[in-house]
Amino acid sequence: MMLDYIINNQEEIIRMVLQHLFLFSVSTLIAVVAGIIISIFVTLDGYEKFGQVLLTISGMAQAVPSIAVVALVFIFVGIGMKPAIIALIIYSIVPVIFNTSSGLLSVNAKTIEAARGIGFTNNQILWKIKMPIASPVIIAGIRSAATINIGTATIASLIGGGGLGDLIFIGIKLQKHHITIIGALLTALIAVIIDMLIQAAGKKTIPRGLTIVTK
Amino acid sequence: MIELKNLTKKFGKKIAVNNLNMTMEKNRITMLIGPSGCGKTTTLKMINRLIESTEGDIKIDGESIYSLDAVELRRSIGYVIQETGLFPHMNVFDNIAAVPRLLSWNEKKIKIRVEELLDLVTLNSSYMYKYPLQLSGGERQRVGLARALAADPEILLMDEPFGAIDPINRAKLHDSFVSIQEKLKKTIVFVTHDINEAIKLGDKIAILNNGHLVQHDNVNNILYEPENEFVEKLLGHDRNIKALVLKKNKDYIQKDGFLVVKRGEKPEKVLELITSAGKKSAVAVDSEGKYEGEFFTRKSKRSQELRLDFNDEVVSLEKNGNLQETFSLMIETGESTMPVISDKNKFEGIINLNDIFSELGNEDK
Repeated sequence: MMLDYIINNQEEIIRMVLQHLFLFSVSTLIAVVAGIIISIFVTLDGYEKFGQVLLTISGMAQAVPSIAVVALVFIFVGIGMKPAIIALIIYSIVPVIFNTSSGLLSVNAKTIEAARGIGFTNNQILWKIKMPIASPVIIAGIRSAATINIGTATIASLIGGGGLGDLIFIGIKLQKHHITIIGALLTALIAVIIDMLIQAAGKKTIPRGLTIVTK
Repeated sequence: MIELKNLTKKFGKKIAVNNLNMTMEKNRITMLIGPSGCGKTTTLKMINRLIESTEGDIKIDGESIYSLDAVELRRSIGYVIQETGLFPHMNVFDNIAAVPRLLSWNEKKIKIRVEELLDLVTLNSSYMYKYPLQLSGGERQRVGLARALAADPEILLMDEPFGAIDPINRAKLHDSFVSIQEKLKKTIVFVTHDINEAIKLGDKIAILNNGHLVQHDNVNNILYEPENEFVEKLLGHDRNIKALVLKKNKDYIQKDGFLVVKRGEKPEKVLELITSAGKKSAVAVDSEGKYEGEFFTRKSKRSQELRLDFNDEVVSLEKNGNLQETFSLMIETGESTMPVISDKNKFEGIINLNDIFSELGNEDK
């Protein structure tokens, strides 16, 4: 039955998958870039207090359920693809900020002092010292943002975002469970693949000296 | 030469360094010491402008450091801190290459320089691609020193560099540090809270308290003419013993009062030589004068007859060692005399514990 449905609705399903990937990639990209930029600014020398405050806020914000964010965006922005993307950005920027700022703040002060003491400029300290040392934590933040976005994108269908959420909710409305299962399985599959890709990319990015196993 | 002129640093209302005037001599090691909060680290960090002074000036070879760009200044000064200062995400090579790369040297020149420096700090070149996490504390500190020396700076600032190292490895690091300085003759400012370290490494010691300079003099004068009670306390009651570290074994070698025989000599002859000289032992050397061990006589239990024995595991002293090591070695082993050998293993004479004691009693040196 499931296979029949897929074969009969091939084009429609592919369209939904692509839509889903679009929702996911646009929102994740913006969330990651914006989240990292914000974190860099609030963790600059002398602004560490802002960083601590933002860290606390983003820590708490992680407890807000995704459906609440989607509902709030619906009230203030309306329906359609754009509001859906906005909701996803708001929701997934939280782990990016949380991880990036905690990663940057936890770089050993002595290491930074040594870098400054031998003549690194502030920019060089950020890009050559702080970012590489914080990279494992930052990448973990990106991973959870991506995973969250793939799942939350299905809920965004409630406010007209489209994507695989449509398939799930159609199945629920029509009480045709096989349609719901197809939507859910495809979402899960995408999530697993994306996670594996990020993990592989992370392995290449994280400096070896940080992960090396000591004798 | 580094000149501090009316140097003052205030953190809010607290005065960390108060109107400091001193000159750190070229090619010498100046130790900054004092209790925590005395301003020694603040003073050090003002020299490379990690901390900006509130008032006063610092001149390097006559030029004010405030006329230079802070980043450029730091690249021209070596800076060593405790082991955590290595960059954990970079291997040994990249850590040492950090400053040359900031100065945009070409990679070929950098590679040659890194190899040279590893050799200088006595690390095998296989260490090049190891990461800080894979090194011991002592090895990390050697890499830290190599990194600071990479661009061959005139001046080296060291902020308690050996503080986190265990005593045995610290002593080894001290020895290599001294021999590196003998070769390189850098102008070094060294912050420590360990008076023994200050005495052992310093050419001059500057003692600070509450941001004031209490005494700044060469090590001998500090030890034998402490300015006031504060300095005396800092030196401790055993400052005479501490001072032994400045005395070399070679200046206390006795050339007589013992018997030297060839190792290959016939036992009867040796026994006769020892008894006729009224001794109980004799130093044994080979035909080239190299130290072999000690002949000694003992009475056999049954016949009360004198017998000759040989000990080839005698603890010996090195000619270039210091009297403090000799003193503790003698106390440890219970020997009142010990043979001294040169670096080529040649027998040089002996040192008597009594001579060390009379040195200890001699305050006006």
